[in-house]
Formats: sequence, structure tokens, C-alpha cells
Amino acid sequence: MSEQTRQVPVPTGRSARPAHRELARALPWLLPTLTLILTIVLFPAAYMVWTSSRDVSQAGVDRGPAGLDNYRALLQLPALGRVFGNTVIWVAGVVLVTLLVSLALAQFLNHAFPGRRLVRLAVIVPWAASVVMTSTVFYYALDPFYGIFNQFLVDLGILDAGFGFTRRPVPAFVVSMLVAVFVSLPFTTYTILAGLQMVSDDVIEAARMDGAGAGRIYRTIVLPILRPAIAVAVLINIINVFNSLPILRTMTGSIPGYDADTTTTLIFKYIQQDRQVDLASALSVVNFLIVLAVIGIYLAALRPMRDE
Amino acid sequence: MKRFLRLSAAVALAALTMTACGFGGKDEASGDGKTLSLLVPSYSNGTKALWEGIIADFQAKHSDITVNLEIQSWDNINDVIRTKVQAKAAPDILNIDAFSGFASDNLLYPAAEVVSPDTLADFQDSFAKNASIDGTMYGLPMIASARTLFYNQELLDKAGVTKPPATWQELYDAAQKIKNLNAGVYGYGMPLGSEEAQAETSLWIFGNGGSWNEGDKITVNNPRNAEAVQFMKRMIDAGLTQPDPGASDRTPMLDVFIQGKIAMAVGLPPTVGQIAQKNPKLKYGTAPIPTKDGQPMTLGVADHLMAFKNDGSKKDAIKTFLDYFFSAEVYKKFVDTEGFLPTTKSGAEALKDKKEIVSFLEVLPGARFYPSTNPRWAATQGAIQSQIGQIGQGKDPKAVLTGIQAKADA
Repeated sequence: MSEQTRQVPVPTGRSARPAHRELARALPWLLPTLTLILTIVLFPAAYMVWTSSRDVSQAGVDRGPAGLDNYRALLQLPALGRVFGNTVIWVAGVVLVTLLVSLALAQFLNHAFPGRRLVRLAVIVPWAASVVMTSTVFYYALDPFYGIFNQFLVDLGILDAGFGFTRRPVPAFVVSMLVAVFVSLPFTTYTILAGLQMVSDDVIEAARMDGAGAGRIYRTIVLPILRPAIAVAVLINIINVFNSLPILRTMTGSIPGYDADTTTTLIFKYIQQDRQVDLASALSVVNFLIVLAVIGIYLAALRPMRDE
Repeated sequence: MKRFLRLSAAVALAALTMTACGFGGKDEASGDGKTLSLLVPSYSNGTKALWEGIIADFQAKHSDITVNLEIQSWDNINDVIRTKVQAKAAPDILNIDAFSGFASDNLLYPAAEVVSPDTLADFQDSFAKNASIDGTMYGLPMIASARTLFYNQELLDKAGVTKPPATWQELYDAAQKIKNLNAGVYGYGMPLGSEEAQAETSLWIFGNGGSWNEGDKITVNNPRNAEAVQFMKRMIDAGLTQPDPGASDRTPMLDVFIQGKIAMAVGLPPTVGQIAQKNPKLKYGTAPIPTKDGQPMTLGVADHLMAFKNDGSKKDAIKTFLDYFFSAEVYKKFVDTEGFLPTTKSGAEALKDKKEIVSFLEVLPGARFYPSTNPRWAATQGAIQSQIGQIGQGKDPKAVLTGIQAKADA
């Protein structure tokens, strides 16, 4: 996000002061933050890269260097293609659907209507609840034996007997994506709603006077103004959704095989089922590089942050 | 602003201290050889109080030794212990299922060094053997569990099944009769979800005279195993199990049995208590697990206590504590309260009249175990848990077993 930092012109009155003196003066104030970043961000990341190059036993004993063996072992997994495919579908699908629904929701919440405050509150609730809790509620509701959602469909006569939504890879993956959209909506909607506040009524009215229809106004005036808000929302959602573990772990955790796994859940299967921390670290490094690459491509190709 | 800075400095400092502990730091009280750390999993809601009671009584008798208790859930304990070992901060005594990984990394004291000869001689032979690698015993068998068939008496009566099935064919026919009732109930509960798929699969494979290993070699993909898994698939394909067995975990499946919607399922000693608590009206019985030829068989699982060498200064204190734990009164109380089966001869004698576990105690001497002393077993078990259920989702048994074998050989 380096685009955000702008060069602050040094006040002319003090231009004699050399840059490194400035830095030295600022350092005591930056130190706590730097320490924090160093100890809880950079150090674990470096330790992860280190572990990925070691041979660690199941009991956790470091048996010495492994070079790139862990990365080679990753490539041997037959399910890897499917897992990467799932990851792409997961991130792209959840982020896109979230964005579209949020745009509509924000537009709706931006209008004055009786009870708007309550509706706005209701939209924020899934955000306040823990994701594990939300996923668990959905998981039980979809249970084929005692889930209320299944019971509902049976009572309506749509189904003869409860359907195991969470028991097979494809349906379980799809309902997990819906849950992911559900929990991503509040943040996205509110970011866009904040963006909508910047659209002044004068501009809209002027456009209307010039004969622009609602669709045209939305496309050529509202959307461009929303651009920075959408950019932030999409970026943060990509990172969040890509790294999301709890939903898939709760909803698809009991499904055998790797057909409903993304790279993130695969990391945890390596740790918890295969107990291979070294392999899991290697996959984490790959995961980390993928996020960086995706965000780099997003910023480079769409330039969402540029000032117009 | 000032307050914020102070706060972040404090947080940073705390983070630094914590990392320092995690990486190469030592327990503050180690070194004197008298402070023991004990890491145990939570078996039930009462586990914590039970251990606290035992430790308090122990410390009253041995005032020079302090025992620090740490309890973790079964979901987490493997991660916790691995992190501790990686950080060279292993506990002195650990209670967990498998010990072979720690033993093969040379982290454990042999059992003979940390308990008295009397305690050592009291373990039942089959468990002692199961806790040894190449003739050296490393694990101390602590509690055992065995399986038996639970059946819903009412459903069997309704379907006209007069006696619980003893062979696979009888099980198949009984389940078919239940299915023919068309009462929204299922014949046989087959939990092949990741929770404990290896247990259900082992029951079928052992019931066909199959095995997971031949000597030192893990052999998942052998003809007897393939035949057993093929029969499991026949049951699934004929609709004689609950739907989607491949993604059914054991605990929720047993809940469905307890609700009376599954006619037969394999359960454990704590299942008896769960039925009494959740649905005491359920009319059920227990019987030996059906096998191919009707020869009784069960799967035994033992959890172990083990002592880590660490810096080698605490052997005597560990010995004192373990001998206390395995003394007849203390041990009986622990096993009895948790509702599991004893692994010692004196314990079995003391509990032989407890009616909840009698049917399990009978089959225990002939129990078969996982090859858990094989260093490749942990990987194999993980692969079984995450893959065997695919036979319930249309995959060919042979291909699934080959996939598991590949992970075992990796």
C-alpha cells in the first residue's frame, strides 16, 4: 500500500536539518511500533520460512536442514491441482458476490426510510459474531438428521428426507462460500456506505437535469466516486477470504479427501492430521507468496488507488 | 498519545518476554529437580477436578515436590506438545495416546527407569507389549478403551431380528430388515468421517483377519483389507448405513443412535453413560462386534503416560509421582471416574464388579491394537482419517487403499 504514503514537503524554515537527524528525532516515537512489527509480524514470518527448510519430526524435533525437499514433497500431492482450483473459486467467488450484494445493500441503506437504523444494525450483527460460531450455527442448521433448515425443506415438501449439504465436497463448498459471503457483507457494505456519503446530491441532481437515467448516473458518477472505497474493500476481502480457515474447517472438516480444501485448510490438515510442520510451513510460504502476487497483480492491473 | 505509547511499549515488552519463553527459555522453576510439569488432555468435564484432587493429595504426602498441571483439549494437545518440544520446553510427564514418535526421537525415559518394579509388573501383558518398541517399554498404559456393538432392542424387535448379528452376513441381513421397515431409521451406523475413521475401518479389517502391518512394514493395501473395505462399500451402496457415512463423525453419529434413529452401531465404554444421560428411555443391548466368520474380536485403544528426559534432573521426582498415580486406590479412582477400562491387573480386579464395563472387560484380553509403535503409523492413521470415507462417495476401495498406502510410504 505504498501508494498511500505521500512525500510531505519539508517546511522551508527548517530545510537545513539533514534527513538522518529527522529520522533520529522520530525514532523514539516509532520504536514501540517497530518493535511490535518486528516481534509479532516479521519474526514469526522468518521463523516460518526457516522451518520450511528444515526436517522436523512428528514429535517436533528438528532433524537438520532439508533444503527444498519440503517444497518438492508439496508438488507430489496428487490433489494439489484441485486444491489450487478450489482456492481460486473460493476467493474470486466470495469476493465478487460479496461486492455485488454489498453495492446493492449499501445503496439501499443509503436511502432514508423508517427503521433504517434497525436495518443498519441488523447488517452489522454477523460481523460482531465470531466466525466459528456463525459457521457452527449454519453447520447444525444444515445437518441432515436434526438441522432446522433441512427440517424446513422437508416440511415444505421440497425434500423427501434431509439432504447432507455439508456431507459432500461440492455442496459443502458451495454453502461454505455462502457463509463466507454472509460474514464478509457487513464490512464491505459499510465501507461502500461510507463511500456513498461522498456522493453529493448536487452532482446527482445536475446529472438528472441533463437527462441522465438512473443507470447512467450510477455508472458514470456514483461508481467512479466509490472507486477508492471499493478498492479498499476488495483488497481487504481478498486477504481475509484467502486466509479464512474457520468456515471451511467447521463446514467441510469432516469430509474425507481434499476435494473441499483450499490451500489454507490444507496447511492445517498437514499440521493436524499428518503432523508435518515442515511441510505445512512450506505451504504457508507458498500461500504468503500467492497473496503477495495476487495483490501485486490487482494493484498493477487495475490501479484502483490512483488519483483521478 | 502518551498513554498509547506507554501501552504499546508495554505490549511490545510483553511480546518480547513471551517469545523469549517460547524459544529456548526454560520453566522458571526447573533445575531444582522437584518441580514437575504435567500435560494432560481433557477426557471429560471432570478431568480437571480429578487431577487437581490427585495432585493435592500427592503434594500433601510429598511436600518437597510441586506438580504443575496443564490441561488441553484433545483437539489441541498434539499441536501444544509439538510446539513445546520444538521450543525445547517439553513437559516432564505427558498423557496422550501415542508415544512412539517421542520415543524414536529419543526424548523419553524407558518405563523401567521411572516406575518401581512392582508398578511395572502390574501392567497387563497385552498393554505392556503394546507400549514397547523393540522390547523396551516407553509408554505407561494408563487407561484403555474397547469397542462393542450397541443395538436398539426395539428396532430389532420391530424388524423381526431375533438375535444380534455375529457375522457380517447376519449384520447385512439385519440392516436390510431395518431398512425394509421404511421408518426413517438406519440399519448400521458407520462413522467414516475424519474424527475416528481409523477405528471403524480397523474393526472391519481385523474382523476379516486383516492387519495394518506386516512386521515393520505398513501394509494398508493387502487382499484381506481390500476384501473388508469392499464389504463396507457393499453396505453403503445398499443403503444399509446412515446417509453419507464418509462424512459422519463418530460422536454425532452416536448421538443419532442414542436418539433411536440407528439400529446398530459400535460404541465405547463412555457410550453407556451418554445414553443414561441423554436418552435413558432407550432400550438397548450390547453384543460382540460382528466379524466375517463370527469369531469375537475387538479393537483395544490405550492412552499412555510418558516421562520426558529434558535435562535429566527430575527422574526421582517423576518416579515418586508415577508410583503414586498407579497405586491401587488412586488409580482405581481415576479410571472409575472417567469411565474407561483399567490397564493394570490390580485395577481390573478392583473394578471387576462395575456393571457398565463388564462387557468390555470380558473382550479386553483378546483385543487387537493399532500398530502404534510403528513410526509410520501416525502418518498412516492421518491418511486413513482423511481418505477412507471416500469409499462412501463413490471411489473405488482399491484406489482409496492405494492412496493411503502411498502416504504411509511417503
